[in-house]
Amino acid sequence: MQDTSLLITGIGVISAAGNNVAETLSSFERGTRNAGPVTLFPTVLQSPVFEVKRLPADYYLEGWRTLSLALIAVDEALKDARLADLTGLRVGVCMGTTVASQLNALLFYKTYRERGAAPMTSVDRFLKGNLAEYIARRIGARGPQISVVNACSSSTDAIGVALSWLKGGLCDIAIAGGADELNHVPYCGFSSLGIANPGLCAPFDRDRKGLNLGEGAGVMVIERRETARKRGVESPLFLSGYGTSSDAYHLTAPSPDGVGLRAALHDALAEAGIAPGEVGFVNAHGTGTHENDLVEGKVLADIFGPELRMLSTKGFTGHTLGAAGGIEAVFTAAGLRAGWVPASAGFLNKDEAIPISPVREKTVIKGHFALSTSLAFGGTNAVIAIGRETGK
Amino acid sequence: MKISGIGMIFTRGLGIGSLEQALQIGWQKPGEVPAHPAIGGALPAYLVDLTATPVKALLKKVRRSDSLSKMSVVAASDALANSGIENIAGKKLGIIIATAFGPHVTTFDFLDDILDHGDAAVSPTTFSNSVHNAAASYVAMSLNIKGPTLTITQFQFSFQAALQLAQAWLNQARCDYVLVGAVDQYGDVLGYVSDHKLTTAKDGRIKPFTFKPTCQVPGEGAAFFLLSAGNEGNVYCDMNAVHTGDDPDRAKVVDINIIDADGMLPDESAYQSALSADVPTAAYSPLFGSMMIGSAFNLASGALMLKQQMRYATPVQDNPHGIRLLTETGSGSVASIRCIGINCYAERSALYLRR
Repeated sequence: MQDTSLLITGIGVISAAGNNVAETLSSFERGTRNAGPVTLFPTVLQSPVFEVKRLPADYYLEGWRTLSLALIAVDEALKDARLADLTGLRVGVCMGTTVASQLNALLFYKTYRERGAAPMTSVDRFLKGNLAEYIARRIGARGPQISVVNACSSSTDAIGVALSWLKGGLCDIAIAGGADELNHVPYCGFSSLGIANPGLCAPFDRDRKGLNLGEGAGVMVIERRETARKRGVESPLFLSGYGTSSDAYHLTAPSPDGVGLRAALHDALAEAGIAPGEVGFVNAHGTGTHENDLVEGKVLADIFGPELRMLSTKGFTGHTLGAAGGIEAVFTAAGLRAGWVPASAGFLNKDEAIPISPVREKTVIKGHFALSTSLAFGGTNAVIAIGRETGK
Repeated sequence: MKISGIGMIFTRGLGIGSLEQALQIGWQKPGEVPAHPAIGGALPAYLVDLTATPVKALLKKVRRSDSLSKMSVVAASDALANSGIENIAGKKLGIIIATAFGPHVTTFDFLDDILDHGDAAVSPTTFSNSVHNAAASYVAMSLNIKGPTLTITQFQFSFQAALQLAQAWLNQARCDYVLVGAVDQYGDVLGYVSDHKLTTAKDGRIKPFTFKPTCQVPGEGAAFFLLSAGNEGNVYCDMNAVHTGDDPDRAKVVDINIIDADGMLPDESAYQSALSADVPTAAYSPLFGSMMIGSAFNLASGALMLKQQMRYATPVQDNPHGIRLLTETGSGSVASIRCIGINCYAERSALYLRR
């Protein structure tokens, strides 16, 4: 039985591909890849990154780039949902991140290490800048708040938490997604793991050489149909399922048999009440690393067949870590709404070890459901299912 | 939702038995940690001694992990064992871990790497262990748990938010059981920050009922709860409501209030308005230290009282405001307990426990 009770009434996004949904779709159509060297901090490392270049001045917050990115996406989503006043509404905020959860303050730490004392500016920012708490205060949301820190699946899981809140009656409206800035610390970390690409990432390509980091935010407004009806708001999009499962295998590598991803896909499809054949496309995690793409491609081919329309949008955004799931959920919703998905940027040559290939060109979508997948450090796999109502 | 098993590690030892012993004995002076050499001196802290735990085989499994992950694995395993439910890893078992600061010690180790060796010569192992969900991952791997696995982090009510979500997962049959944990660790940088921003009780004695000014003593530890929808396992009590941000049941009459006051706020006087002269109140933070996830240890204390039908005296009874305290330890009927938290905006969380 398909449950269409949770409407997605607003979406907002910012990444290197654009500062909002319209700009992003335009980049997608043109196939623009806005990558380049790191400009946000000094480094000797040379893996290209996908930075947001035109952060609107109104949103600039000193030392809080992740929050700036988040607020841009939140405001766009609220505007899209025609949700200006939250008075009298039970609004939950669930956001995924990695960077905003850590005191990655090199200067503070260097000073403390040397002198045993240091100015508290960055500590104060950290303590006041918890993503969900900050956003909830800023917009006046009075419902539940959670900041999810599940590494690269954080914001897919955040949307899944929102689904559980709404189904459980903990709130009437949920603002869910994620945000992460490009930060010096994970940039060094991913390089140390040997998975940072010296060139541009090529998800699912035979010659893929790793990922590029990026930054951004993606946010959805999800609400009960009844709440939307009372507000006089309609939307053809709905959040229909969430699945999540742990590999229990390795801290940084996916299980080779993809057991966790299979379970998460199964659960998301089951909750959505749909069969694999009803899925119009999958926005895959597709980082461009050898292991991720191999495991994910095999599992998707097994469950959906090699004809599935799938893509990775990380060729346009880079890997935005804790924001990736939110950004890609917005892309998935936008793709369903627009009726097309872009070419999977960076893909040129089929990998014979992967029995499925991403789309090579702008592709019209058939079907009323789409999935977005996330695989994370720690072995977490998360999947959300989004639907579009027939005839709308 | 039932609490069907409790596991923990904290300054007084491993397991719910250590908590019971601590509740009976009462407050003990904490250890000391040296301050930064440039400053000198020492600070009190309620630290965990992992080397003293009798779970060597389990710790060997996670030998490459940091102390935050080790405490999590030990406490999670202890909760499953305490539940007595067999073959639980074969059921749909979820994990939700709440933490305020995550693996900050490992994060600073990684910053040491960058500062000492440069961007291109840092340790991948340190980096992977510095990710917030590493602890949950080690729990899943060491206990072979393949259900939903989530780590959440907030400075306000993160443990309560985890319980709320666990309730939703159980109601929605997303899980048969949920292992909800709370964990935080001590580190010298955090110790410095706490000492700088708050007032440290130099004698190591947290006084939860002074309210203003407050004093804190950092603690560390992990407490895990196996939650189930039915009467399964080693049931301690029913948790029939979890509120965050406000308490719509504030008028409800209970037998005991437990407050989370621990000096982590410079002004904790909002607790006073949450208490009544009719209900005896306890605060157990002097047993485990000041932690943003300290609510978990207070919850465990409440659950233990309901299971054993015991009342445990609040360990530090300085009482300048004349609060009605739970002053005596002894057996007695306990049917309901409310665990109360207050955040820096004077908003309230409440957990309602029933026998």
